[in-house]
Amino acid sequence: MTCPMETRENAEILMAYSSRALDASDAKLLEAHLQSCSRCREFVSAQRAVWEAMDGWEAPAVSADFDRRLYARMEREVSWWQRMRGRIGLLLVYRALPVTAVAALVVVGVLLERPSPLRAPLQPATTTAQVEGLQPEQVVRALDEMEVLDQFNHMMKPESSAPRM
Amino acid sequence: MPERVNTNMGGATAALDYDAELMLRVKDGDGASFAALLEKHRSPVVHFLYRMVQQQAVAEELAQEVFLRVYRSRGTYEPTAKFTTWLFRIATHLALNALRDGKNERNQERLDERSEDMPAVQVEDRRPSVEQSMVRQATLDEVRRAVAALPDKQRAAVLMHKYKEMEYTQIAKILNCSESAVKSLLFRAYETLRARLAHMA
Repeated sequence: MTCPMETRENAEILMAYSSRALDASDAKLLEAHLQSCSRCREFVSAQRAVWEAMDGWEAPAVSADFDRRLYARMEREVSWWQRMRGRIGLLLVYRALPVTAVAALVVVGVLLERPSPLRAPLQPATTTAQVEGLQPEQVVRALDEMEVLDQFNHMMKPESSAPRM
Repeated sequence: MPERVNTNMGGATAALDYDAELMLRVKDGDGASFAALLEKHRSPVVHFLYRMVQQQAVAEELAQEVFLRVYRSRGTYEPTAKFTTWLFRIATHLALNALRDGKNERNQERLDERSEDMPAVQVEDRRPSVEQSMVRQATLDEVRRAVAALPDKQRAAVLMHKYKEMEYTQIAKILNCSESAVKSLLFRAYETLRARLAHMA
């Protein structure tokens, strides 16, 4: 048998043997090797000492009120969640009604304002369009022309109204 | 050895350990199954955490958090791994965080008062002589110091290997590393412990 101390992987065999977890056939082979290998004997001895020392380290008993404290914390969590859910529910009820009403009004308004394809198209107001189409310069020019005409008429009137000789 | 049951899940038959089966019942709202899980795993989880942080009150506080997280996760629980793997993964995560945050140091004063009277109960039960008690206490202190001196991850690996008798594959899943990494952690950890404790042989 190759010395298990030569590789880290094989040292597992020694650890398993130290904890008496090695199967019988492997244990027999290793025991034969231990007869002639002082390094492995030391390893096994030291490892068993470690495990035995650790065996004596007992953890204290769990507190008697451990479960009570745990269930109290769980209860607090559940109550907190239920309270939150209740508050959110109430908030939704109080908030949702006006919001829904406003939303409904907006939807109705949009529907009414939207041009319906069935509705007949409006006829364009031609007069209004003409008035709206006039530019201020045109108005001023028209007024000027009217004034020129008026002056011309005024000039022509005395001659036409003068007694013929 | 955990009892194993076959459960049909969505047409696919999966072998579940009994704890996972209980957890699925918790998921369905069965409080009694949660109580059964708590009863079974309370001590192993607290003891593991105690050996990790070496403060009983901190260990119990962390264990409460472990079971709270289990309870909170019931809705999304899927039995993709062994239940104890999941449980100890939570416990190890919390313990490593607590050690990192130095939580146990902040509580040192309060905890020392509690931890002093805990081993006394055990010593009294066995009724050893005063000398035997003192030797035993000195040995235990040395073991505790040696384990506490290990790097956190090595400590977790050793405690799961020694006290929970977990296999390398399960420790690897809990520590989220490869099996060879676990072997390496354990080899180094035991090497350190042998150097410190071998004289007790």
